[in-house]
Amino acid sequence: MAAALAMPATAFAAGHCHHCGEALPANARVVELDGQARSFCCQGCAAAAEWIAQADLDGYYRLRSAAAGKVGEELPDLAVWDRADVQAEHSRAIEGGREITLLTDGMRCAACAWLIDRALAREPGVVDCSANAVTGRIRITWDPSRTALSVPLRRLAMLGYRPYLAGSEALERERTRERRRWLLRLGIAGLGMFQAMMMAEALYLDFDSTMPEATRDFFRWLTFLLCAPVVFYSGWPFLAGAARELRERRLGMDFLIASSTLLAYFASLVETIRGGPHVWYDAAVMFVFLLLAARMLEQRARSVASAQVDALARARPAFATRELGDGRRETVPLSLLAPGDVACVAAGEAVPADGVLLGDEAWFEEALLTGESAPVRHVPGDTVYAGTVCRERPARLRVTCTGTATRLSQLARLVEQAQAHRPALARLADRVGSRFVMTLLPVAALVFAGWWHWQPGRALEVTLALLVISCPCALSLAVPTALAAAHGALARTGLLAMRPDAVDTLARATDMVFDKTGTLSDGRPVLASVEVLAAGLERDEVLAIAAALERDTGHPLAAAFAAAASSLVAGSVEAVPGRGVQGVVGGRSWHLGRADFAAGREDDGALWLGDGVVAAARFVLEERARPDAAQALAALRAQGLRLHLASGDGEAAVARLAVGLGLDQRHARQSPEDKLALVRRLQADGRIVAMIGDGLNDAPVLAGADVSIAMGQGASLAHRAADLVTTGEGLLRIPAAVAVARRTRAIVRQNLAWAAAYNVLAIPLAAAGLVTPWIAALGMALSSLLVTLNALRLARQAPLPASGDNAGSPMSGEARA
Amino acid sequence: MRILLLLIPISLVLLGVAIAAFVWAVKRGQFDDLDTPALDILEDDDRPAPPRTQPREGGPPPP
Repeated sequence: MAAALAMPATAFAAGHCHHCGEALPANARVVELDGQARSFCCQGCAAAAEWIAQADLDGYYRLRSAAAGKVGEELPDLAVWDRADVQAEHSRAIEGGREITLLTDGMRCAACAWLIDRALAREPGVVDCSANAVTGRIRITWDPSRTALSVPLRRLAMLGYRPYLAGSEALERERTRERRRWLLRLGIAGLGMFQAMMMAEALYLDFDSTMPEATRDFFRWLTFLLCAPVVFYSGWPFLAGAARELRERRLGMDFLIASSTLLAYFASLVETIRGGPHVWYDAAVMFVFLLLAARMLEQRARSVASAQVDALARARPAFATRELGDGRRETVPLSLLAPGDVACVAAGEAVPADGVLLGDEAWFEEALLTGESAPVRHVPGDTVYAGTVCRERPARLRVTCTGTATRLSQLARLVEQAQAHRPALARLADRVGSRFVMTLLPVAALVFAGWWHWQPGRALEVTLALLVISCPCALSLAVPTALAAAHGALARTGLLAMRPDAVDTLARATDMVFDKTGTLSDGRPVLASVEVLAAGLERDEVLAIAAALERDTGHPLAAAFAAAASSLVAGSVEAVPGRGVQGVVGGRSWHLGRADFAAGREDDGALWLGDGVVAAARFVLEERARPDAAQALAALRAQGLRLHLASGDGEAAVARLAVGLGLDQRHARQSPEDKLALVRRLQADGRIVAMIGDGLNDAPVLAGADVSIAMGQGASLAHRAADLVTTGEGLLRIPAAVAVARRTRAIVRQNLAWAAAYNVLAIPLAAAGLVTPWIAALGMALSSLLVTLNALRLARQAPLPASGDNAGSPMSGEARA
Repeated sequence: MRILLLLIPISLVLLGVAIAAFVWAVKRGQFDDLDTPALDILEDDDRPAPPRTQPREGGPPPP
């Protein structure tokens, strides 16, 4: 909550949208709310804020700790949610209506969940709803006889939270059940442990052995019963893990934990039956409880990762448009699309299934599959793949493969494998742990034999103490807890780690290569100068022609001309990828783009207007650096990183930006291959390279760098090439992330050093019989706790980026140059 | 020591009650989201419902 109140006022100050915090465009909308004029970046944000004010929910703006998502002008088509087949698979009937769990993007903090709860509760027909900002899920119970599901969902979309399908109903319930089962295990272990400790304490406090044997045995049997659920229910994950390790014929941490626990438990049972001097139930339960708490921490890190997988799932279309035999079109869920169907894909949409292109030629962006960032032309008969993005022009295709058979699904499985893959650092800890167990077991056997020889009465106790105290939990905990805390801290600064190794590599990075457009600059070029080259044309005329040509392309360059009022209309507009636009304006054919394309001259980085041969005008567009770029670069330089700028743009534009920001290593006119070669050269010099790009035209170099950060610009599939993805556009989060990564590395080292030192000290003490099992359990626990607390320092010291945050809106990050 | 015969069953009953309450709370989803409910008390919620209209002029066009 402190973060919510400490949100810098600048983030929502003048120049930024009141709702989503994005920089205001030239045609910002101003709406009066509560007597104050507020500016908005788009109609959608304005409408959302107006509704929030009308509904008396403006507390949202006070409570939030992160800016809202950009709403945008168009609402998605939600009618599909009312279809019976969608509801049958994704919702279930409950008393008083139906219940559905759906995913949404744009939920950034608890205030969003608060707003969604309130907004939906006021929709008639909505019986109950709950939004969870942690998992990004919304559960809605509605009465189908009073409202169609699409009505409350439209409200949700209007507020900027687009609904997405969240896997099947059964999968969702399994997820919730799993989370609750872990919580139950931990709670029962805790309660059981305290009760068992109470009994054990009574036995320990009986210093002069005055307790009648009957009472003592009664206590012991009670403890035995109390421990049973802790050992066998709460401790089940360890027992199951040990069984798995045995089946796989390797010894790991689970085996050591399970064998120590079972040994303590059953040895105590034997002692209880024969009335021996000691029992060790307390050691067993303490062991289970503390280790379970540690596992919960690891689980938390994994749940962050699975939320990321969900974010990727959103990149896949959930519905497809199918063409019927009579030419009509219908929207169907992806699961209903079958091979042989004809699917229609609008420009800018992702292809829903693998198929063969029909009709006209079309361009597809295949960055995800091939790493090639420029759209690729396909002619009818070519195979196009699910997940590629249709560009410039709608396409039709005959479906050949759907669902898990598609290339996309194969890739998605690869991503999931990579995520399940444990980080190299954690694998190292595992390997060390396994070796440790292998050496410890013979040592334990020797110690047992030794004590059996000298003092058979204490042999079991000493061996148990040795096993418990040396349990390398600190070792196995050191890395996961630090990584979990670091991932949490990174998420709060606005970076999601997509690969487990990302944090470690980022900490070791020595060089940082920046892309220009969309990374250091805001990707919204402004017109710097206009030069009219053809006789008989005025400045206003060429601007009007350019504006008409660019108006409907949705290209970032179009914004530069948006201010030029144009009554002209362009006909047969066609975008030529990587070169420009052509179309007919006022009866003449015009080309607008690179000099070689528009005017038959050598490309100089400027934008030319012409008929393809003769130049009519030359426009110089300038990109502005992001407001926080200079500050972020200075911070990175202070961290000792070497900074490079690599851009596909012309020398002049690159130099202007580089000089403005004080970057001396700059490379202009770089193709993706050149950028990759630059990174490889640096790597050959032994540098560790971090690449920061906007994740679309940089896919190959992002994949080639040691660690890569993609600027978050909506749900681009190419983000999968990056190790880290930002959730907004502020650049200050990058030095913050480097700082977190370096602290993580330091803390992991401290933890490993502590674990080693502790074991070197504790094992001889235990072998010498100076430690009783319960002290061993406590020592092990304190050591683990110390490691965990040390790791949690990472979470607490998370610095927040101080600058305003442009919410990652689902806009296209296409860059032509 | 006879008091133990009373105290121990009581403590076990209390343990049972605590576990039952915990299980109930987990099953009801009380621990699913610990942040959002904290905001509820900061805002009064008993204000009248808003007018049931789609946003007036200038609202996003219905799809």
